[in-house]
Amino acid sequence: MTPALPPAEIRALARLLDELDYYQLLEIAPEAGTSEVKRSYYTLQRRFHPDANRGLDQETRSCLETIARRIAEAYAVLRDPRRRKAYDGQRDGEEAALRIPLVAAEAKTQRENIEETLGRTPNGKRFFALARADIDKGDLDAALRNLKMALTFEPANGFFKQKLTEVQDAQREADDRKRAESR
Amino acid sequence: MAEIAVGIDLGTSNSCVAHARGSRVEVLPNAYGENVTPSVVAFREDGSIVVGQGARSNLVHDPRNTVASGKRLIGRYFFSEEVKKAQAVVAYQIAEGPGHGVRVGVRGEQFSIPEISAMVLREMKSVAERKLGQEVTKAVVTVPAYFNDNQRQATKDAGRIAGLEVLRLLNEPTAAALAYGFGRGLTQRVAVYDLGGGTFDISVLEIGKDVFEVLSTCGDTYLGGDDFDDRLIDLLADEFQAAHGINLRKDPYALEKLKLAAELGKRGLSVDEQVEIRLPDVVQGDDGSSLSIERTVTAAEFSSLVMDLLQRTFKVCDEALQQAGLIARDLDGVILVGGPTRLPLVRQSVGDYFQQEPKTDVDPDEVVALGAAIHAASLVSDGDDDEEEDAASAFLLDVTPLSLRLGVAGGLAETVIERNTPVPIEQSRRFTTFQDDQERVQVRIYQGESRRAEENELLGQFEFSGFKKAPRGEAQIDVTFSIDSNGIVSVRACDPETGEETSTELSLSSGLSEDEIQNILDDGLADRVQSDAPDAEALVPAETSAAPAAVEPGPAVEPAPQPAPAVERVPEPAPAAAVEAAPELEIAPADEPLPELDSSPPVYEAFSPEIEGEIEEDDAELEIDSGISDAPTGDMVEAAAQKQEPATVGEEAVLDAADLEIEPGDLEELDVEAELEGDDGLFDRSGADLAQFGDDGEER
Repeated sequence: MTPALPPAEIRALARLLDELDYYQLLEIAPEAGTSEVKRSYYTLQRRFHPDANRGLDQETRSCLETIARRIAEAYAVLRDPRRRKAYDGQRDGEEAALRIPLVAAEAKTQRENIEETLGRTPNGKRFFALARADIDKGDLDAALRNLKMALTFEPANGFFKQKLTEVQDAQREADDRKRAESR
Repeated sequence: MAEIAVGIDLGTSNSCVAHARGSRVEVLPNAYGENVTPSVVAFREDGSIVVGQGARSNLVHDPRNTVASGKRLIGRYFFSEEVKKAQAVVAYQIAEGPGHGVRVGVRGEQFSIPEISAMVLREMKSVAERKLGQEVTKAVVTVPAYFNDNQRQATKDAGRIAGLEVLRLLNEPTAAALAYGFGRGLTQRVAVYDLGGGTFDISVLEIGKDVFEVLSTCGDTYLGGDDFDDRLIDLLADEFQAAHGINLRKDPYALEKLKLAAELGKRGLSVDEQVEIRLPDVVQGDDGSSLSIERTVTAAEFSSLVMDLLQRTFKVCDEALQQAGLIARDLDGVILVGGPTRLPLVRQSVGDYFQQEPKTDVDPDEVVALGAAIHAASLVSDGDDDEEEDAASAFLLDVTPLSLRLGVAGGLAETVIERNTPVPIEQSRRFTTFQDDQERVQVRIYQGESRRAEENELLGQFEFSGFKKAPRGEAQIDVTFSIDSNGIVSVRACDPETGEETSTELSLSSGLSEDEIQNILDDGLADRVQSDAPDAEALVPAETSAAPAAVEPGPAVEPAPQPAPAVERVPEPAPAAAVEAAPELEIAPADEPLPELDSSPPVYEAFSPEIEGEIEEDDAELEIDSGISDAPTGDMVEAAAQKQEPATVGEEAVLDAADLEIEPGDLEELDVEAELEGDDGLFDRSGADLAQFGDDGEER
């Protein structure tokens, strides 16, 4: 079955571990799809899993375990679109950390979602809050104005855009109704 | 030649041992020729210990000295719900041991639960040795997937006490999937619905050519077939009390008979539309007359008794599917495991829930042991032998079933490793102190899904000191958690600046200490277990042990048990003549021929490889989108804002006192419990003392 790896190779990889990002570790390209992530995880765990390598000395064995744990970590991040997004963001950022705590990755994405739904910038937040109040009051024209203002500060905010479309649709419906009534 | 290693399914009600060699996997039957052995331990008057069928028949006439369903108590704290529940229904004595552990008192001796389980394992070891004709020292032992670290540690200890090297603690549903997919070259997604005697597990797996990946596991360790029995017991006992004014639950003998009758009744309903439960002379009335129970129970009536229990299992299934990012339709198969899944009611409900017929080509009582055996073979295979190839190539990737948490200020528990994360895994988080010049911190480790520490299982705690003194919030403490392939947790704390480090395997809590285990081993406890073979005197109840010592290696017939509960089938238009005697067999199974002459045992040739050729080539088909749609909607704004709140609590939580008084080595978990009780939310604790850096572990 699995050819046992040479102990020297295992120890060398263990030393190198902190210099590899998750993509390098899994031997895949940053744009690799989920199925590729999975395939690579299977292959590598087969190669490095302690179950697949027996009869090693204590030191090599513990190196192997470290590697196997890190591979599982990389997999846990890259197979999950939310975690992967947070990781990619961090990788491109200034810190350029090669690892991300699993829980933090989750929290980060969650926070981003929250930010998106409330606004990321002070002005974006302010106008969006006004728009929400307008919607509650049923003043669609005002809501539309405020949403457009919010979007000038946060043009990429998908949630704002979505709200804008909703309000526009609602307004169109209201107009249609008015027209029908007047006829 | 590779070493011998067996797979043992250590069940709540029954245990089973199997062995794999190449593509042959077989269950090793016990001396009665039965594939499963009751997980019952009887302590006899002469000090000897009997496990299995002989012990089970002891249950009715000597319930105080017979321990059944020990698995329900393993790794539990004495104050836990499960222990209280057990105390109400068992006749043997349950006492508190050191470290809030559980001890069983029988015939003036006290035993820990790992010791009880060790006795069962010892019996399974002898069953295997008898059948294989050589010593067996290595085994893969299965545990419910939802077992926490305390329960796993305790099970591992049990193996050691029994004289077995536990190569791996394997999750039961994973083992079942392994046995199901082994050697069939399937590429499938399957769910394993495992309803055992005392626990319920559901696992969703992806089976590849030779890789078995667990996508998610959920469960309930407080739910099993025993609960189904309890419903029947309640029905019978309540009706009896209403009719005669006598509470049968108060009489240990009557209760044991009732339990047996309920179980047999339940089994009867696996085959028939209705059963008649007859308990002649169950108890004496006030006037000395003897009272009996005769009651017909229909499948429909039973169904209404247990439907809520089944519904509970489906809630857990919802969770598992959601965690795997799948819906029922995505599954290619549903595998049933555990005796209770033989009930037509269960089969049908599971079929309805998953919108497909469950697989019927696996034996729910044996499949777990078979999977364990396959894995055991792969763990000892040397890889050279061609014959070993098949078993050796099965490769398992499992997950941790429960989130791992660290206690922080404010009575909260911060997640460090989420449930359903692949194992082995390691994660570090940085924490800080919440008092100026704090010298020590208490590191508490929990397992569970609640943010409130007290609602999780405490795995252990240790004190960490030696980090650099600093104003509050400035000291740095890195806490690293790892979970190995057995699901066993270890934790270490270190100061990244001074390099000071403390580490522990979390066996401090409800398990046995190393010294205790050593003492038990020195006492040779496991050797007291007498082989439960029909040719030994094991079957003869203590009070009539005048039976000839050298019985012919033929069927030993047990002296007729006392007025035994009999469950009779109500004659149906259907056939079944031989079944009349079947329930009796449960009580006095001795009159079965010995299998010694080697009437070749059932051999599983990799589960009939010719069937089920649904091999899919396209890997991409299997791709899973675990990104459960989280497109924000208007309503989510509120929800999101609320979600944010607990994080803020974690950030701001400040405690009033550090627990510097606690002496190392004198850590009282119960103190924590006491402090937390009757509180209304944000309680003060003199215990927790780690503060966090930021809401997600980043430095402030």
